[in-house]
Amino acid sequence: MPESDVVKAAKERLEQSGLPSDWLDIPVHWGVKAKEQATPENGGLRFEYLNVDVYGEVPEHWDNNTEIPRGAVPDTRTEQMGYSIFDKAEVWSDLCAGLYEDAIAERWNSSADIPWDTLEPIGSDMERAVCQIATLMSEYGWTKAQTTGRWLQEISYGYIEVKLFLGTVVFDAARLYEVWRKRALSNGGGLGRGGRNWKFLPLTQSYTFSEFCVASIMHDSMLLALLRHGEQLAQTEAERSIYELCQKDIERHLAYFVDHMRYLMLKEPVRREEIHRYMNKAEWYLAKDGDDTLYSALGVIMGDGREGAEEAMADVAELRREQIETYLGYLTECHLGDREDRLNEELRKWAGIAPEEEVEKIPV
Amino acid sequence: MVTADKLNELQLEPEVPELDLSWLNLDTEWGVSAEPGRKGLTLQQINKSLYGDIPATSEDSSARPRGAAPPEGATPRMTPWVLGDATETFSDSAGLLYDEAVSRQWSSATDIPWDTMDELPEDIERAMVQLCTSLTEVEFIAGDVPGKWLPRIAADHFESGLFLMSQVMDEARHTDVFRKRALANGGGLLLQGGGGGLRQILEAEDFTQMSSMLHILGEGFVQSLFRLGELIAHNEAEKRIFRLAAQDESRHVAYGVTHLKYTLENDPEKAEEVHWTLDMFENTLVDPDQANPGLAGALVYLLGDGDVDEGWRLFWHVRRKQVLEYLHRLDVAGLSGRLESGRLHPALAGALDEN
Ligand SMILES: [Fe+2]
Ligand SMILES: [Fe+2]
Repeated sequence: MPESDVVKAAKERLEQSGLPSDWLDIPVHWGVKAKEQATPENGGLRFEYLNVDVYGEVPEHWDNNTEIPRGAVPDTRTEQMGYSIFDKAEVWSDLCAGLYEDAIAERWNSSADIPWDTLEPIGSDMERAVCQIATLMSEYGWTKAQTTGRWLQEISYGYIEVKLFLGTVVFDAARLYEVWRKRALSNGGGLGRGGRNWKFLPLTQSYTFSEFCVASIMHDSMLLALLRHGEQLAQTEAERSIYELCQKDIERHLAYFVDHMRYLMLKEPVRREEIHRYMNKAEWYLAKDGDDTLYSALGVIMGDGREGAEEAMADVAELRREQIETYLGYLTECHLGDREDRLNEELRKWAGIAPEEEVEKIPV
Repeated sequence: MVTADKLNELQLEPEVPELDLSWLNLDTEWGVSAEPGRKGLTLQQINKSLYGDIPATSEDSSARPRGAAPPEGATPRMTPWVLGDATETFSDSAGLLYDEAVSRQWSSATDIPWDTMDELPEDIERAMVQLCTSLTEVEFIAGDVPGKWLPRIAADHFESGLFLMSQVMDEARHTDVFRKRALANGGGLLLQGGGGGLRQILEAEDFTQMSSMLHILGEGFVQSLFRLGELIAHNEAEKRIFRLAAQDESRHVAYGVTHLKYTLENDPEKAEEVHWTLDMFENTLVDPDQANPGLAGALVYLLGDGDVDEGWRLFWHVRRKQVLEYLHRLDVAGLSGRLESGRLHPALAGALDEN
């Protein structure tokens, strides 16, 4: 493109003043006008609409270890920044940009959006049980935020959409932490007992992003199955809206994790066995954690007090079965439907699936 | 393949979890209530009784919420180390700043009046997209850094953790909004503007050192600049971007200042280490070799609206304000005297000269 007079004049003025002007030499992809799609009906200027011209080309491999914006011209003097993820298959999902904007559009505020004034005394056992669940929810929120946050420094700008979305996951997880803390400390109760945390090790220890993703799918889908019982578990309108709002957040997170794993399985089917190993580990820790506090607290709530808890444990068992079913359902969506055959023995019992040896006896 | 019928035959009753009611008799603090106030139920309102007691030292690397009873049985170590000493990460304002972050979130898609952006003259559009290229880059690192530190924050000091989580979100939005501006109005992304100390912030292995560089000096300068965004903006959309981003940066700066204040009050010997960090980081900021070739030129050009002499004049006006506000923030944090002792980098001290 021939240099226009106005740019030529601008360069001269800058140079006379001793200022760098080489940025004016850069060929501009002129005419990139994302604003044209920014109508109210379209949800404003969403990140998806930036995928125009070269800026929408998400490379299979990104080879720059600086923080250079995708589509900018490199300054080769810039130091490397220590990123470790440079392959699209490793992190990508086409849904990221949209989910990022959805998270922002659906943001909520635990201070003002929960009808806290609907809380009322619910009896000592019930309050203890709600607070015990709240304590464990907070714990997961904290772990989720910490472990998601840790991956940001690994992902290069090539996959900016993923990072932006993960930023919303960190923020949502912060809210998961604090909204339940608020619930525990607002209605005449207090915090309960912390969990054993063994089940979180596959998240905190994850060495690869894929491991982090499958561990997240396991924890998030089990949490989601529980949150879906909000109507049944909530004692007040305030709790009902906490369950509902947290559920929406977790569904968004799962949408990403699942779509990403589906993408990975399609792009790199050879990694299937490796991924199963991460699931072996995540499930093993979950089973071995052996902390029944959550389910006992659910028993007290479903049994409307400690007296009814024993009887309610059958319903709790059903809820736990749904948790495993939800987990397996999401795995099927990412082309990992063969997991059912390989599910951890302990989790098979939770789900009421016959042990693997029994299944093998059936003639094919 | 096993048929569905066969599988149904093998469907067993799910195992029933063991009922353990020992948690009904814990000796955690009980009987705590909180009433929502004008802004709803904020963190401040639940920070009561024992649950509001912030331990000066935390030995707990687990995710257990502050005030909860420890679990029974063996527990694993969650991370190799956490910053257990409150002087490492704490700020008395962190909870408040988190609450504020939650209530003041905005959307770059819908809260910026993108339709107010008319076509700009080619030189101005180029300068604006160059500035935005550099800014989206800076904001990108600003989000990586709190993410890196999150696993090291003790759950007992959760207020700082929550604040950093909100910062991750804010910086995602900043990375996003400047990329959006670059691609919205006919230009595009131009020259990378790396360097300028971004790596030093990322590689710091001490939280307070990192925070002095990122929150106080780096974001402080950015905030002072954004607050003068009216001088750079050419339409309502750009003005709004700078105004909203400046609001977010104020929280980040406030965290840095209050954290440093807390640290210096409880560990005065840390002062010299922070001085050293600032010596180093100021030097980087003004080092011509580290200068971002696009940023300075585009900024001066925009400030003068194409008149480079006027742009320089306004640049020094901005720089003077940046330095004055920086020194004021250090004063508030309890680290005064950099100017008087001659420790402030001469190139920054020189900016205070009116002429
Ligand atoms: Fe920022
Ligand atoms: Fe910031």
